[in-house]
Amino acid sequence: MARRGRQALFFLLPMLILVVAFYILPLVLTAWISFTPLTNWRVRDQLVDFVGLENYVNLYYLARYDPDFHKVLQTTLVFVVLTLFINVVGGLVLAILTYLIDERISLGYRLLWLLPRMTPLAVFGLLWYYFFYGGPQGTLNSFFLKMGIIDEPMRWGTDPAMLPYSAWAIIVFVNGLVGVSYGMIIFYSAFKNIPRELIIAARVDGAKTWEVIRHILVPIVRWHIVFVTVWQLLSLITSYTHLFVLVQWSVVDKWYGTTLALYVFNTAFFDVKNQGFAAAAAVILVIIGSILGLLTLRIMRFSQMISPPRGDI
Amino acid sequence: MGEGIGEGGPLVRGTMGIVIILALLLASLPIIMTYSTLVMTSFANTIVSSPWVKFRFTLENWRLFLEGKLAPTAGIVYTPEDILRFILNTGIVAGGVTLVVLAASVTSAYAFSRMNFFMRSGMMKLLILLHAFPGVALIVGVYAIYVFLNNYIPRDYSIYYSFIFVIIARASLEIPMAIWILKGFFDRVPWELEWATIVDGGSRLTALRTAVLPLVKPGIAAVAIFAFLAGWEDLIYVLVFLPPQEKTLATYIESQLGSGSLETTYLPVVAAAGTLYLIPTIIFFVVTQRLLLETMSGGLKG
Repeated sequence: MARRGRQALFFLLPMLILVVAFYILPLVLTAWISFTPLTNWRVRDQLVDFVGLENYVNLYYLARYDPDFHKVLQTTLVFVVLTLFINVVGGLVLAILTYLIDERISLGYRLLWLLPRMTPLAVFGLLWYYFFYGGPQGTLNSFFLKMGIIDEPMRWGTDPAMLPYSAWAIIVFVNGLVGVSYGMIIFYSAFKNIPRELIIAARVDGAKTWEVIRHILVPIVRWHIVFVTVWQLLSLITSYTHLFVLVQWSVVDKWYGTTLALYVFNTAFFDVKNQGFAAAAAVILVIIGSILGLLTLRIMRFSQMISPPRGDI
Repeated sequence: MGEGIGEGGPLVRGTMGIVIILALLLASLPIIMTYSTLVMTSFANTIVSSPWVKFRFTLENWRLFLEGKLAPTAGIVYTPEDILRFILNTGIVAGGVTLVVLAASVTSAYAFSRMNFFMRSGMMKLLILLHAFPGVALIVGVYAIYVFLNNYIPRDYSIYYSFIFVIIARASLEIPMAIWILKGFFDRVPWELEWATIVDGGSRLTALRTAVLPLVKPGIAAVAIFAFLAGWEDLIYVLVFLPPQEKTLATYIESQLGSGSLETTYLPVVAAAGTLYLIPTIIFFVVTQRLLLETMSGGLKG
């Protein structure tokens, strides 16, 4: 038994070292930092000063009284709910449509929709920078000017007259384009496991396309829908990279483009560099994230999926 | 009606099939348009944002970009940047991430597939949780470690330290998923093959190396590609950990569009940078189409 344990440990060691050094230790440190006054990364002086719950109290006061922080909280809520809807429903629609059509065309579409997910962040941001560009050369301006809907170019994401809705629409749209492919892939591979005879038989019995979708395809993926919803919820609450680019390049308004996760990042690294405060907000995110993560494992009935190892000697 | 639905054919034919294909095309227009704007602009003298923009074909942007003359409108008062260095830096980070991910995930995935040990299923659940972990909470702690250790690094080695740290830190984010993907591939290899090696007196490590690894090459390739692309595309870690003069393509583009830089930014040259930056992604995409889609669904499902 001891020899077996040592052998497994030997195989697992590289992974264990990295997990401890880059997940567990940083997490403990972040929680620790949330009780310190750490600013400007003065790690040597400030990491052992304690301010108790001050950062959390500040967070509470900000949430109650600060108008900018109110915008952040509103944006977080709107962003998460709307993008989640797009990702799940859009992913389901894409999966159904690509499942029904000819395989070669379907492959092309699925790859096309996977492209935003695989595109480097800076390039993807650049695409939308050109698209929403405030000058007459911007794609959206160019179209609307040509069609005579507007007389002069608009700064879509930052014009105060259109805030907050325009900024929200942009962040939801841009993130939705990345997010839908997740649901699409999961649902599509579930459809692929359906015996074709089942659908052909339904068609021979005279079922319309809509009836096939409603009575066969959707019921088959109902657990997948729950799983994708919870998993995407988790990922949307914690993701910040695409929003960072949009805000940093002024494609959208600073506060109506910032969610709580991005707020933590900017507070720690760019704006005020108040890491103690940022860490307190991060701890809140971790708590929400852990609850959702554990929920997902439950939904996936995960323990049953882990098959026993073969070849254990 | 369902006439003519045979094995392998589409499930919907005729008018309905065409309607669906056109609807998908319409929905895909924003994707198609934005990517073609980027690529066309890199070969044009202006932003080719819509079909009716009149532009002149030119390679000038690419010349300016590769010569490092990134802000031609700034006139003579500025020094060209070393673009090859930026490309090299991007490659170093991507290559480094690939190596670290492979080194840390192959043996672990093998152990999860073949051995029983204390907390095995607990650790596998933990990996899934880590994959979804709030990255923003981690990066604060990881940067604190970086700053703390930096005090003990001699100034001359500081730049190597930054690169090594950013590579390992970025690679760590990819490890949970890499292990899950690889474990799936290991699970499909028949156990009898290793058993023969072990009966002949070989160790587990020999069995892994000689009997199993050759059979999981597609899995290793998939993990390597995902890891490479993750390192290649990274903006946040490079921006946070590397000193400002050590740019990658990502941080170069960021510096051109970020606040305070717009006065001298010439967007067609940035488009050339973006197009170049996109090329490896597109190549992997075209070469590995099916492997990519299958690994993603397999990996995502666990």
